[in-house]
Amino acid sequence: MTTRREFAKQFIGIAATAVAITTISSSVSQAEDKKYKIGFSQVTTVEPWRVQFNKDLRAEADKHPNVELIVADAGDRTEKQVADVENFIAQQVDALLISPKESAGLTGVVEKATAAGIPVFVLDRNVDTDKFVQWVGGNNVLIGEAAGKYILETLGGKGKAKGNIVEIYGGLGIKATFERSDPVHAALAGEAGVKFLLDKQSADWKQDKAYDIMATALRNHEDITLVYGHNDPMAYGAYLAAKDAGREKSIIFVGVDGLPDEGVKWVHDGVLAATFLYPTPGAEGLRQALKHLAGEKVEKSVVLGTEPITKANADEILKRNGLM
Amino acid sequence: MTTQDRNMSQIIEPSKTTSNLLGILLRTKLFWGLAALYLVGILSSPLTSAGRNIFLSYGNTTDVLRQVSVTGIVAIGMTLVILIAGIDLSVGSLLALGSVTCAMLLTKEGWTAATYFGIPATGLVVLLSSLFVMNFIGKAAGLIGQRSDNTSAKSADMAFRSVFMLGAVVVALLAMVWAASQVDTKFGVLAVLLVVPCIGAVMGALNGTLIVAGKLQPFIVTLAMMVGVLGLARVIAGQDTAVYPVYTGTNATINFENLRILLWGVIPVPVLFFLGVLIVFQFVTRMTTFGGYLRAIGGNEEASRLAGINVGRIKIITYAISGYLAALASVLYVAQFRQGKPDAGVGLELDAIAAVVIGGTSLMGGKGSVIGTLVGVLIFGFLGNILQLNNIDSNTQLILKGVIIILAVLVQEGQLQSFFAGLKFKGSLGKRRP
Repeated sequence: MTTRREFAKQFIGIAATAVAITTISSSVSQAEDKKYKIGFSQVTTVEPWRVQFNKDLRAEADKHPNVELIVADAGDRTEKQVADVENFIAQQVDALLISPKESAGLTGVVEKATAAGIPVFVLDRNVDTDKFVQWVGGNNVLIGEAAGKYILETLGGKGKAKGNIVEIYGGLGIKATFERSDPVHAALAGEAGVKFLLDKQSADWKQDKAYDIMATALRNHEDITLVYGHNDPMAYGAYLAAKDAGREKSIIFVGVDGLPDEGVKWVHDGVLAATFLYPTPGAEGLRQALKHLAGEKVEKSVVLGTEPITKANADEILKRNGLM
Repeated sequence: MTTQDRNMSQIIEPSKTTSNLLGILLRTKLFWGLAALYLVGILSSPLTSAGRNIFLSYGNTTDVLRQVSVTGIVAIGMTLVILIAGIDLSVGSLLALGSVTCAMLLTKEGWTAATYFGIPATGLVVLLSSLFVMNFIGKAAGLIGQRSDNTSAKSADMAFRSVFMLGAVVVALLAMVWAASQVDTKFGVLAVLLVVPCIGAVMGALNGTLIVAGKLQPFIVTLAMMVGVLGLARVIAGQDTAVYPVYTGTNATINFENLRILLWGVIPVPVLFFLGVLIVFQFVTRMTTFGGYLRAIGGNEEASRLAGINVGRIKIITYAISGYLAALASVLYVAQFRQGKPDAGVGLELDAIAAVVIGGTSLMGGKGSVIGTLVGVLIFGFLGNILQLNNIDSNTQLILKGVIIILAVLVQEGQLQSFFAGLKFKGSLGKRRP
């Protein structure tokens, strides 16, 4: 009797375990199989950094077979981006990633998506609300500080720095411009030997406009030590102007962004002395969204660090990106 | 006549000499404006450490000329369009399209969107333009177009026409085969100079055709084209490419450098292109019947039609020229800035229109000149240069540019005095003015 009872007990135990295991495993496989439809509203796709952003995001999405990524390009217009997000809300996407054109115009629609029960992840520029799951982005102030430190050391170090700097601004109405500029000025504030030659000359992030500004600066100033461009294409445009004037060898060029096929390549070629990585939040944003969808807790904000790129590490980065 | 009498008569009725002098001054006031700006440039210029005036230095002058060349070439096409009372808002996008295709042809081997689009476009443009040239020569030589009831003369006419047609087809095929022969390697300088402007001409002709055939407003057609062509440029570039860098000597032919060098250390090549285009179109607008037709159509389209001018054809050709020049400018843009990209020509159409209007060409059509446009372009170029040399920040530069446009147009239209009069004595003087 005892054996039979014990057997029955054991049997029930095994059966229960088996059921439990099947339930768990089926629920696990369900999670694996569940398709996530993820909408991504990108502000524009004509800037190289945005193209890299999309590339990073798509590459990450390809690693997850259960992710269906839909990308909408707002053509650099706020109203189009609002419509894109509303469209995603109507499609009832499982998560919304948005890289907003500006905070004021897009705050409302981010709140609307959250109210519709869609987890929202804000990438790069932020919005004026906390009704989203998470913000992921780089920090331009960190970049400005790293650039300031590098420029100070390159020009001779604290208290001894000497040189004439041409600074080419991005856009004068844009916060990122001053976040990349102010820390550099702060780092060089006490240096009597350092002079900024131009007064807020903006090339609108463009290589061609930077070329023209630099061409005139070269006529105007016989002694230019260093050029700091708020992005790599502008630093490169300034380099081209200096090259055409036969003065590129005597000037140090520093940029920002560090895209593999631009800044990193130019550092590798010896055109730029250094650039500072402004990482795209594409891959990290999607990883965080999937973590959240899987039920894990995520931080309210994730700040991506910067990395100085010089001759020392340019080759390695190019190899990592399959460009060498 | 006593001295007093003469003075009196001058007061009442200016003598012939003064009115001539005044007339010359008034007609050339634009040049005086440019001269005044130049003087401001000299006086405000910083000096080099050796005490030399930077603004006056030869290098600075060639810098300015080089900087205005791209806009200048586009503005000349715009002048023709505005002469026929049209407008072409698509030139910026056409420059972008041209820059993308140019950079792709230079840096990519094999068949790409750029070659698929560019080579047929070249064939079409070469076919039509060689037909045009042959007909012109044929008529001049009296081989075709003679009115005659004689059957043999008629059949001779037909025979010559078919020979010309055949000839044009052969020339077009040769051009296409030559361009296609460069596909496997990368395109050379002459090939991009042939193919890229033809793409612009085709798109420009499309502008003209829509305007003529659809009886549509040029503003809206070219606005639509501006949007559509920008999209086309981005499609051709491909989704994952915002910029095509052109590194001469590594990913493109080193000869491409020739399009931006300082020739013989004297004159930048883009300036040569600009001057060449300027001379050609100064001649075309002043010395040819085509130029006369442009003015006639701009002055009174209906009368021109009744006078037997083929208004539709002239319009299509004019827009095709504007497209051609915008795309030609794009090749120089790529050479200068070593990149082709879909957002290359943003705002260019407005710069070009402003230069044309400052140059005295009336937006109402019929009145204006290519030389005036040169002056308009130079005023912009020197103004930017002066502000830059004096280290005026970018935002203030924009404000000053706006002010200069308004001032220049007021001076140009001879409205400056009445403008100030209107400001001061509004109401009291209002009745006296017509």
